[in-house]
Amino acid sequence: MSFARLGLWLLRRERASGEWRVLLLALIIGVGSVSTTGFLGDRIKRAMSEQGAGFLGADLLVTSPRPIDAWPIHTLKTSSALEFASMVSRGDAFQLATLRAVDAAYPLRGEVRIADRPFETGTPRPAQPPPGTVYVDQELLTLLNAEVGDAVQIGEATFRIAGVVVEEPGQLGGVFGFAPRVFLRADEIEATRVLQPGSRLTYLYQFAGEPEPLSNFSAALKPTLETTQRLIGSRDGVETLRGAFANADRYLQLTALISLLLSVAAIAIAAHRHALRHYDQAALLRCMGATTAQLRVLYAVQLLTLGLLGSLAGVAIGALMQQALAGLILPDAVTRLPSLGLAPIGVAVASGLLALAGASLPALMRLIRVPPLRVLRRDLPPLPAAAWISATVSGSALMILIAWYAGDARLVAGFVGALAALVAVLVLLARLALVAGRGVQKISYGPLRFGLAQMLRHRFDSMLQLGAFTLALFLVALLALVRSDLVDGWRQQLPENAPNYFLVNIAPHQQDAVAAYLAEHRLEASELYPMVRGRLVSKNGTPIADTLPPEARDTNTLRRELNLTWTATLPANNVLLAGTWHGERRVAEISVESGMAERLNLALGDTLGFESGDQKIAARISSIRSVKWESMQPNFFVIFAPGPLDTLPASSIASVYVPPDAAGMLPGFVKTFPGITILALDKLIANIEAVFAQIIGAIQLLLGFLLAAGMAVVVATLLASLDARQQEAVLLRTLGAQRAYLAKGLWSEFIALGVLDGLLASVCAEIAMALIAERLFELPVRLHPWLWLALPAAGALLVGMSGWLTTRHITRVPPMQSIRALG
Amino acid sequence: MTPPDSAQFPNAVVAARALSQQVPTADGLLAILSEVELAVQAGETLAITGASGSGKSTLLGLLAGLDQPSAGEIMLLGQRLGNLDEDARARLRAGRIGFVFQSFQLLPALTALENILLPLELAGRADARERATHWLDRVGLSARAGHTPRQLSGGEQQRVAIARAFATDPEIVFADEPTGNLDADTGARIIDLLFELNTSAHTTLILVTHDDALASRCQHRLHLVAGRVHETALA
Repeated sequence: MSFARLGLWLLRRERASGEWRVLLLALIIGVGSVSTTGFLGDRIKRAMSEQGAGFLGADLLVTSPRPIDAWPIHTLKTSSALEFASMVSRGDAFQLATLRAVDAAYPLRGEVRIADRPFETGTPRPAQPPPGTVYVDQELLTLLNAEVGDAVQIGEATFRIAGVVVEEPGQLGGVFGFAPRVFLRADEIEATRVLQPGSRLTYLYQFAGEPEPLSNFSAALKPTLETTQRLIGSRDGVETLRGAFANADRYLQLTALISLLLSVAAIAIAAHRHALRHYDQAALLRCMGATTAQLRVLYAVQLLTLGLLGSLAGVAIGALMQQALAGLILPDAVTRLPSLGLAPIGVAVASGLLALAGASLPALMRLIRVPPLRVLRRDLPPLPAAAWISATVSGSALMILIAWYAGDARLVAGFVGALAALVAVLVLLARLALVAGRGVQKISYGPLRFGLAQMLRHRFDSMLQLGAFTLALFLVALLALVRSDLVDGWRQQLPENAPNYFLVNIAPHQQDAVAAYLAEHRLEASELYPMVRGRLVSKNGTPIADTLPPEARDTNTLRRELNLTWTATLPANNVLLAGTWHGERRVAEISVESGMAERLNLALGDTLGFESGDQKIAARISSIRSVKWESMQPNFFVIFAPGPLDTLPASSIASVYVPPDAAGMLPGFVKTFPGITILALDKLIANIEAVFAQIIGAIQLLLGFLLAAGMAVVVATLLASLDARQQEAVLLRTLGAQRAYLAKGLWSEFIALGVLDGLLASVCAEIAMALIAERLFELPVRLHPWLWLALPAAGALLVGMSGWLTTRHITRVPPMQSIRALG
Repeated sequence: MTPPDSAQFPNAVVAARALSQQVPTADGLLAILSEVELAVQAGETLAITGASGSGKSTLLGLLAGLDQPSAGEIMLLGQRLGNLDEDARARLRAGRIGFVFQSFQLLPALTALENILLPLELAGRADARERATHWLDRVGLSARAGHTPRQLSGGEQQRVAIARAFATDPEIVFADEPTGNLDADTGARIIDLLFELNTSAHTTLILVTHDDALASRCQHRLHLVAGRVHETALA
C-alpha cells in the first residue's frame, strides 16, 4: 500500500475525530464566505462584459444637461433621448418617475424588452411606444395600482399604459433606482408641458457605427465638450461601472476574508491538537519503518483531501448563499444575471488550500519530525520545526491571501493594520475581562466557582475564544446599529413641523396660483425661490479647475450644474459668516456657502464666472454664509443679489409642511398643477433606508459566516483543552463530584465566557458607533441599553451551546473509561 | 548469546560494541549507558534486566535503531547503524523488525484487525489482509476483529500488539516490558504466547523486563546496573 493510500485509509478511520471535524467545518465556513462573494462578483462582472455595447444602448453616448445642436460631421447612426423626472398620476395615486422620451431609433445597440403583462419575460421591441401610450416598469404599476391598458396622467397629457418594461440597456438592477421608469415618445413631451426652464434634464445622444468613423467622431467631439457634458464609449461605460463595482466588490470580499482568517485560527488550533494527538501514531509509523518522506506524503495527502473536501463543500454553500446575496443586492436583476461561473471555484478552492496550509503546516511539520524513540519514552517531544520556517510558511500564506483579496498595497496595509489594531484591542479587553472574572470567581461558590476557575485556568484559550467571538459579535452588532441609528438619527434631526415636501418645477405663471392654493389649504410654505441652472466656470478670470490642486478638482460642484437662485432676504437657517448681505441692491454680487468656499478656496472679493445655457454671468463674492442643510428648506450654494439672473429662464422651488391629516390635499394639488414635481421627504428617507437595508443586509449575510467562524474557534479551543478537562473531570468524579456538578461547572464557564464576549462586543460597538455617529455623520452620540442585554444573551446562548455540545461527554463517560482512554 | 568478540560477528543479527549513551543535564553530562558490548545470534532470545533507570529501555531503543548512541557501534541485520541516517534506519526496520510495547501502542482509530494490517500494508505485502486475519486468529482474537482498542481489555490489546509484531515475519522482535501494564495472570499468558510465537516463527527476541520469571525464559540475560553490564548469563 502506498503511503498516500495509507493516509486516506487512516483519514477515513479517523473521520469522526473532533479535530478533523472542526478543521473541516472551519474550512467550509471560510471558503463558503469567500466563495459567496466570489461567485456573485463574477456573475455581475460577466453580466457587464456580456452586455458590452448593449450596456450603453450604443457604441458612444453623450450626456448633457442641455441640448447639443452642433456636432462634428459624421456618418454614424444616431438616436437621441431626453430624461427627466416628473409626476405620474392615476386617480388619487401619484408617483415621481424617471421619464425617458425616446425617438424611433432608440436604442441603437442592445434591446429593450417589453411585456404585455406584469411578471412576463417580454419580447424585444423598440423603446418608443405607439402614439398616445407609455411603457412603464413593474414598480410603477404597483405604486399606482394600475394595469396595462389603464390611463395615466403626465403633466397635462393623458397616456395609456401599453406595456411593462422588463429590461433596458444599462440596467443591472435597481440598487439606486429611486424613481420608477417610464418610456414615452419624444414627440409627445410637448403635450405634457412639464418641461420648465430650470428643470433638471439629461439629454442622451447615442451613436453607433464602424470603429474608425466612431473614433474620428469622438476625437473631433471631445475638445468641444463642456465639463457637464460626458462622452462615454461602450468600453469605458462598462469599465467605469465595472471599476465602481470592483471597489464595492473588493470591500465585500474583504469582509468575507475576515471569516476566512478567523477560520484559519480555528484550523490552526485544531491542527495543533491533531498533531499533539498523533505524535504517538507518527512515532509508531516511524518505528515500523516509515521514512520522513513517506510520513510527509501520508499527512500531505490527508491535508489535501480535507482541504479539497472542505473547500468544495464551502464552494457548494457559497453557490447557495450567493443567490441569497444577489437577492439582497440586486433584487430586480437576479434572474438576468448569467449562471454561476467556474473561475470563482478555482479561486475559492485555492484560498481554502492556502488557508489550510498556512494554518496547519507548522503543526504537521512537527508531526513529521517526531523521533521514533517516542514509542519507548512518551515524554519525548517532537523536534520543534524551525520557528522561522513555521512563521514564514503561515505568515506568507496569510499575506498572499490578504493581498489577493485586497488588490492594492494600501488596502492590504490598511486591512492588516485595522485588523491587527482590532485584535490588539480585543486581546487587551479580554485580559481585563479575565482579571474581572477572577474577582467574581473569588466571591462565587459551587459549580460557578469551579466553572470560572476553569475559564481562568485555560487563560490562553479563553482569551482566544473571547477575541474571536467578540470580533464576530462586535461586527454584527455594529452593522445593526449603523442601520438603525443613522436612519433614526436623520429622522430625529428633522425639526418638528419641518417641511416634508418639496415643490419643484413651478413655472413663473403658476407662482401666484400655487401660493394661493397653499394658503387656501392653510399650509405653511417657504418662500418661492427662482432657480436657474448654471455651471461655475472661472474664478477671477482663470478657469476654476486651474485654481485648484489636482486632488481637489474631482468634485460634484464642478462636474454638475448648480442651482442658482436670487433673493433679497437672507434665508432663515442661513447665518452670515463674513462680508455683508447684498440685500435689495441690484448688483453683480453673490453669497457663497462656507463649505463650498472652503472646498474651492474662494474668498470675499473673488469674482466667479458662471455659464447658464449660452449666457455668461460674472459676480463678486460679497458674503459667505453657513447653511443648515438639515432644515429641509430650499438651500443653495450660491445666492445672487436680485438683478443679474432676472432675464434668465427660471422655474421656482418651495418647501411646504403638510401635516399628516392634510395629506389628502396632495392628489388635488397634482391634478391642479400636473407639471409641478412633488418630492416627498418621507419617501426619500424611506428610499435611502431601503438602499441601506439592502447593503447592510448583504454584509450581515457575510457576517453570518463570521459568527460561525467565531464559533468554530470556540469549539476548536475547547477541543484542544478536552484532554486536560477530561483528566480534571475524572479526578473530580473519583473524588465524588456528581455529573450534575460537572455539568453546571461547564455551563457556568461557557455562559460566563459568552456573557463576557457580549459585554466586550457591546463596549466595542458603542465606542465604534459613537465615533461613526460623531465624526462621519455629525449625529448626537447615544447609548443603546438593549445592546448590553442582547449581546451578552446572544453570546451566552451561542458559546454556551457550542461549549456544552463540545465538552458534554466528559461528564458522561465513566471515570474508569476516561482513565483508560487517556492512557 | 555470543561473547562480544569484537572482531566481527558473522552470524549476529544484533551486536553492540563499546556502546555508550550520555544525555546533557543541568549538572553536566549524565551517562545512561557505558561501554555495553553484546551480540545476539539469529533465533536467540535475550532478556535485558535491571532496576528502573538502569538504562534498559535506552539500550533497547539504540539496538532497534530508534536513537543514536553517543559512542560505540551497533550492527543491526548486517548494517552498521552509525553509517545510516534516521530515514535509512527506518527503511532497515520496515518489515524486518517487530515491536511490542508496555503501553501496547495500538492506533485507537483502527480496529484490532486493522492494527495488525498496518505494518503489513506499510511493507507492501500483497497478502496483507489474509496474514492479518491469520495472526489475529493465532492470538485467539478472531471474534474481536472489528473491535477498537478501547473495546478490548489490556491483555487483549497486548495480544493484538504481539500479532502486529509477528505479522510481517520479522527477523527480530523487540519487546519493552511487555507485561508491565498487565496483572500477573494475564502477564503470564502473554509471555506464553510471546514465546510460543517466537519459537514457531524462529524469530530473534530481545526483551526488556524486570520480571524475573519472564527473564528466566530467555536463553540469555544481560543485567544492567547504572548503565553498565553487570552480568551476562545464559539462562
